[in-house]
Amino acid sequence: MSQLWDYLDDELTQERMGAIRRHLAECSRCHPHAEFAERFLEALGRCRCQEEMPEYVRERVLERLRDLGFIS
Amino acid sequence: MEVKPSTISAAREDFDREVLRWMDDVYRFAMSLTRDATQAEDLVQETYLRAFRSWQTFQPGSDARRWLFTICRNAFLRNLERERHQVSIDDGDLDALSAMQLHTSMQSDGTDEALARVDLAPALTAAIARLHEPFRSAVVLVDVEGQSYEEASEILGVPIGTVRSRLFRGRRHLQEMLAEYARDAGFALNRGMAAGDGHA
Repeated sequence: MSQLWDYLDDELTQERMGAIRRHLAECSRCHPHAEFAERFLEALGRCRCQEEMPEYVRERVLERLRDLGFIS
Repeated sequence: MEVKPSTISAAREDFDREVLRWMDDVYRFAMSLTRDATQAEDLVQETYLRAFRSWQTFQPGSDARRWLFTICRNAFLRNLERERHQVSIDDGDLDALSAMQLHTSMQSDGTDEALARVDLAPALTAAIARLHEPFRSAVVLVDVEGQSYEEASEILGVPIGTVRSRLFRGRRHLQEMLAEYARDAGFALNRGMAAGDGHA
């Protein structure tokens, strides 16, 4: 089960993915670990910043680039 | 009569087209790294100034967003000198196993069950802010921004195996913080003692 994270990240070959999927379906010891890890990753995915960039930040960057003569 | 664009103005147009359009993404990434609006704003500005200075090194046709993330992350690290310590042992498999052991102990004291009933995202957002480098960047890129190991490896400039071990260790640290959060919030039930179920 050291490959649990690789499995949940979809970073294994299809063959290994299938083998781990079958193992998890049968193993009562590993299954809860996988469920918890999956829920943990799903929650991490929701930690993405949802804030819009304030318009003044864009203006500040553009102004600086204009000062440097790179954009008109 | 139209004047043929000079090399400089063509470069400017390319920069406008390829780079400026990713500013919202760079800001979001900077927010994920810093968890602070003021720092994120400064980081976006620094990223774009550095991008402007090294624009000549950008390979046309390559992924400009990924290039900007690399610059942003490097600038973030430079600003974070005090936290720039490297992992002494890089063993992703050991960290993956430790994460499972941690979960076993969370099952024993009921933390796992309690955490199943709450939204983990707010606690994890706070935990990411406490996560040290180089783990934070790996977690933010793969788990928050949804990049593959390979993409994260390009952005971080390290081999895929290093991304993997940093990611696994970062996840383990986050799970430890979750367990701490659950204990502080009084979620742990000491189920092993109460039920006498024989868990070690």
